[in-house]
Amino acid sequence: MDSLRPESRNTVLDLGPPLAGNIKFLSALSCRVRIADLHRSLCAESVENRQPEAMGALFERLLPLAPDERFDALLAWDVFDYMRPDQVSSLMARLTPVCSPEALVLVFASTRVRIPAAPLRYRILDRQSLAGDGPLQPERASPRHGQPDLRRMMPGFSVRHSVLLRSGIQEYLFARGAREEGAKARAAGALTGASPRHSWFRRR
Amino acid sequence: MWNKREDEPIRPAAAPFPAAPPAATGERREPAVIGSSISIVGDVTGAEDLTILGKVEGKIALPKHGVTVGQSGRVTADIQAKVVSVAGEVRGNLAASEQIIIRKTATMLGNLTAPRVGLEDGCCFRGSVEMESQEKAAMASTAGSFDAPGVKAKPDTSLAATASTAGSFDAPGVKAKPDTSLARP
Repeated sequence: MDSLRPESRNTVLDLGPPLAGNIKFLSALSCRVRIADLHRSLCAESVENRQPEAMGALFERLLPLAPDERFDALLAWDVFDYMRPDQVSSLMARLTPVCSPEALVLVFASTRVRIPAAPLRYRILDRQSLAGDGPLQPERASPRHGQPDLRRMMPGFSVRHSVLLRSGIQEYLFARGAREEGAKARAAGALTGASPRHSWFRRR
Repeated sequence: MWNKREDEPIRPAAAPFPAAPPAATGERREPAVIGSSISIVGDVTGAEDLTILGKVEGKIALPKHGVTVGQSGRVTADIQAKVVSVAGEVRGNLAASEQIIIRKTATMLGNLTAPRVGLEDGCCFRGSVEMESQEKAAMASTAGSFDAPGVKAKPDTSLAATASTAGSFDAPGVKAKPDTSLARP
């Protein structure tokens, strides 16, 4: 949230369902919010449309982009846990070219063996806290996307923060181009622009 | 005496006074209704509130009034109004100078621009939301333009194929005009 500077107009793509509170919160930060409601949209598609070879065309239809569209942040929440790796790759192949050079992606990946039947609805309570609504009973197998899996599915992005929450959810904040920047900084002998948590992980 | 009224045929009210536009008198009129069996292709403009229960394709511009898309309403059009409330299905961009409300029964595909946007839990919505200041939204609204940031109106030439029924709706204060620029010979 601190990366979204109120003085500049940011565009946030929310892959989750429309939630009035989140839109209000982000609008107060001068953000333009785009809602994709991706899980619901994918579930509404036929099996044929969800085949790996049809994913490119499907996302072009589900996420039509204006010529000047640019996203500064993507809120993926736990939606990737409900998509196949090829679906995530196709989605990111569509979105990466329209992400700003320092775009951020928030991803929650479950480390548990089973997850609820559908993604939770994450409500932004304030700058520090979220609440997740939805059926919590574990009903389906978790893909258990690890960090290497996510990085493979999201080329051009690297992890800026990673926190394992008590609920078994690994929270990732990916940043576009951060890896290249980090490599340059290391080469220069300093870790500039990285958070203490990030640099701590690097030192380990 | 009371039963007599039931037997009377319904006829147009013979108004004791000539009807005046609501803006002039401050009188609140019932909104015009596009019934569930009505289909309109073309532009809808007017000077009173409008409830859509049928189908509309084209463009709806009531900058100083409210537009309600009822649960049975199916709209493929950009809507420009003071307040827009959607309970049915809308494909198009909405621009309101005051408020947009997307009800839980709604299916809304398009961009929203208004100072206040209300989304009920459970609604189906895909598109962008831009909550801009009331003044800015009013300017966009009175200018009759959908060129507010993030909201771009493009003529939907696909509407032309079904333009044969254009102009079939004409209620007091609300007029549907055939968009001849889109009509095919």
